[in-house]
Amino acid sequence: MPWYLYLAIKQLFPTGRRFPFFTAISVVSVSLGVALLIVVLGVMGGFGYQIRAMITDTEGEIQIKSRGLISDYPGVVKKVAAVPGVAGATPYAAGMLMVQYQNKPAFPQMRGLDLASIDRVVSLGKFVRIGSLEALDDDSVILSGGLADALGVRLGAMVDIYTPLMLAKKDGEVILPRTARVVGILEIGHQQLDSSTLYCTLRMAQDLYGLGRDVHGINLRVAPGAREEEVAARVNAILPDEVRAFSWRDSFADFLWVLQLEKNMMMFVLLFVVLVAAFLTMSLLLVLVLKKTREIGLLGALGASRRQIALCFCLQGVGVGVVGTGLGLALGFTVLHFRNDLVRAITHLTGGQELLARFYQFSELPEHLENRDLALIVVSALVLSTLAGIIPAVMAARLKPVEALRSE
Amino acid sequence: MSNSILNASGIVKTFLSGDRRIEVLRGVNLDVAAGESISIRGESGSGKSTLLHLLAGLDAPDAGTLTWEGSPDTGAKRRAAFLGIVFQSFYLIPELDALQNVLMARRIVGHIGSAERDRAKELLKRVGLAERMDHLPTQLSGGERQRVAVARALMNAPRLILADEPTGNLDEHTGSAVIELLLGLCRETGTTLVLVTHNADHAAKCGRQLVLREGRFA
Repeated sequence: MPWYLYLAIKQLFPTGRRFPFFTAISVVSVSLGVALLIVVLGVMGGFGYQIRAMITDTEGEIQIKSRGLISDYPGVVKKVAAVPGVAGATPYAAGMLMVQYQNKPAFPQMRGLDLASIDRVVSLGKFVRIGSLEALDDDSVILSGGLADALGVRLGAMVDIYTPLMLAKKDGEVILPRTARVVGILEIGHQQLDSSTLYCTLRMAQDLYGLGRDVHGINLRVAPGAREEEVAARVNAILPDEVRAFSWRDSFADFLWVLQLEKNMMMFVLLFVVLVAAFLTMSLLLVLVLKKTREIGLLGALGASRRQIALCFCLQGVGVGVVGTGLGLALGFTVLHFRNDLVRAITHLTGGQELLARFYQFSELPEHLENRDLALIVVSALVLSTLAGIIPAVMAARLKPVEALRSE
Repeated sequence: MSNSILNASGIVKTFLSGDRRIEVLRGVNLDVAAGESISIRGESGSGKSTLLHLLAGLDAPDAGTLTWEGSPDTGAKRRAAFLGIVFQSFYLIPELDALQNVLMARRIVGHIGSAERDRAKELLKRVGLAERMDHLPTQLSGGERQRVAVARALMNAPRLILADEPTGNLDEHTGSAVIELLLGLCRETGTTLVLVTHNADHAAKCGRQLVLREGRFA
């Protein structure tokens, strides 16, 4: 081991002596900065990841939409299912309804599902908490947990369903509400979907909205390994102009852009924490250089070159960066691991757990740290710590041995 | 002199103090033969330490020439192998134990192997610190620290040892013991010694005694 590396390690982490204040402060400050970045970017990434999971779990990766309705959907489904990269296709109808149970109204989003093909695109069955998706038929519905709670509905209850179509009287005829049995209660984990969604068969949705044989759209599942954008482009190539396929990224482009911008801004702002830590390391290293002036003189007298002396101090900055980053990663991932316990503890003390869930749309705090973000955090912390060591290193290297030895 | 190990000729050194120029050394001439022991005495401020730093190649003279074994190369790399220095204030590295302080002289020059470790241990035994090798400088007395510094100066088997008032921070008894040790080790190993000291008794133990007065040897 070169002497300058050996001495840098010994000065940072001496054996048999009290842990140096300089090292402790510098390492802790870098660790906190890194941990903060890990936690914030992990949670911010989690939001994006959760939204992606929520969208693709309930709607597939690609949605086919039309300016009006899609007629002859079996033909379209057959055509797009043959496109390379498409693993499955299922039509849907969607819209707003009024549901009433014991004079208690609610206005959920309706989702009409084609039971013959839904499993090829989304695994909705895994989200059914009570009842089952198999029990769904043209006279029954499945409600989201929040909607069921709001209406006070239990499994087997009969609910009245009104559609906007029923508001229009035809020749003085009053259309009565449609009655359906609740055969399931479903929870996806996304507050918005769980709060107010009604799932029914496609046929029922077509009846309620008077669509005839038409549908509002088609959801596609992309084969594993296939790129959503490329598959969407291939699908668009065989569709008429008025019918377009959008990847989930396209559909939520604005939202994802805001989310990404928010994450980038967080990264930018929080990098200042690491930058401050680097300045702290630099100032403490400068003090160390002043404190060790005579030792620097001695090293010169023993034959050390200026470059080697500079490396000795620069490596101390690197050492602080490496250890601080390591501890910061450990601390950050530990906090991420216990994030929900921490949030529960904080909201238990301060209240507002429901508010938190309503505001952030998720019942649990999500977490997903991309490798790119992790690499960026690690590299930033190491580069800034190394840069922090350069000025003290240059200062140490510029000391003349004879002047350093004479210093008091 | 054919076996000259160090030659300084016409060494001049001036310092600026505000607007004043202080000529500390005014043409010093010194020739040291291999194996010789020389003491340099002088009053405080007479330029003893300045001369020693110049002889060690740590500073450059304003005029004059310096050669080591006839070569003008007095750079850091050559210094590490050619000479060992003992300072008044010991200058041990506080984070390293006695053994590692001694080995540091060798680390700077090159690789540390078992032979180097054995030599460092042997030197520490020779200076009476066999039982204190793993002690940090703060756990050693002043005399013990200076003995570690002596062992460090000898680690690279130098041709020349320059000692700058090595007893300045020690009591009379300990100081004498350190001087005896230094002279004994230099005699044993055939190492040349240039000793700067205030103490006439210590100076008298050297083969040649010089006195620096008004920037020149008297």
